[in-house]
Amino acid sequence: MPTLDDEQFEAYLQQFRPCVPEPLPAVERRHRARRVFIVGAWATAAVAILVLGALTLHLHTNRVRVAETSGNAGTPKHLQDSQPLTMRSANALMAKAPSFKTMVDDMAFRSQTVPLPKGKRSAVAVLGKEKIKL
Amino acid sequence: MHRTEGNIAEIEFLYREHGPALLLFAQAVTGERGRAQDAVHQVFLRLLEKGSLSQVGDKKAYLFACVRNAALNDSKLRDRHAPLEPDSAWFRPPDRDYAGEQNLRRALEALPNDQRQVMVLHIWGELTFLQISDLLDLSSNTVASRYRYALAKLRDSMFARENSCANS
Repeated sequence: MPTLDDEQFEAYLQQFRPCVPEPLPAVERRHRARRVFIVGAWATAAVAILVLGALTLHLHTNRVRVAETSGNAGTPKHLQDSQPLTMRSANALMAKAPSFKTMVDDMAFRSQTVPLPKGKRSAVAVLGKEKIKL
Repeated sequence: MHRTEGNIAEIEFLYREHGPALLLFAQAVTGERGRAQDAVHQVFLRLLEKGSLSQVGDKKAYLFACVRNAALNDSKLRDRHAPLEPDSAWFRPPDRDYAGEQNLRRALEALPNDQRQVMVLHIWGELTFLQISDLLDLSSNTVASRYRYALAKLRDSMFARENSCANS
């Protein structure tokens, strides 16, 4: 190993850098506290947004459901109008219903829910009294 | 003197900038990394409490003086003649030259305490002989002569060891 002069030896020594000390306790705690605060603030905001969104959705769904179900409990959709059953509407039902039985059931159900105006009779009541030869 | 964000930022900057050299100097004084670390932390935590170095002219020299006082005060409470820790690294070796780091560390440990302090302050603390003389309360000539002796001893010690390893 060649002998180094003073300048060369100083340069050689300066290649060895001193080890880095550990972070200062107060500063590290402050940085950690700041990080925790920021993460906590973001998490709280995210949770609040989720809760508000869920609440809004729940209220909206409830409102729609109430509107749909008011006054029409159990009534088939095609019978929801309050018009009395006439021969014409019965014929229309017969044309649309998937089967004779379904048609009869629907007419019977409807006649139970819709009160007839004064002086009118239901078609079922009329047909029920006629003697039909098959 | 109240603490502001700017003052704290300045002190943090000084810690990052001079912390390694201050730690090395404290190790040169105390002989132990743990005690050296405590001395450096003590100084900076006190600075953070006080709030500002605005009234200090030569901040770097001031920090070395504070660390020296803290290390010596600690040594007074403990055994002053405690041996230096042989296994705790003092440097980050260039090109992973761990053998070179150990060689340098042992050569520094072998120096007398006063020569070792001057060596560390000048080479790694990058203080001038004038600054060192103020810090150690010595004349510049005394500082320069201690440095020359220390440099020669260190070189002989390191390269004699390396040559003997090469020849064996």
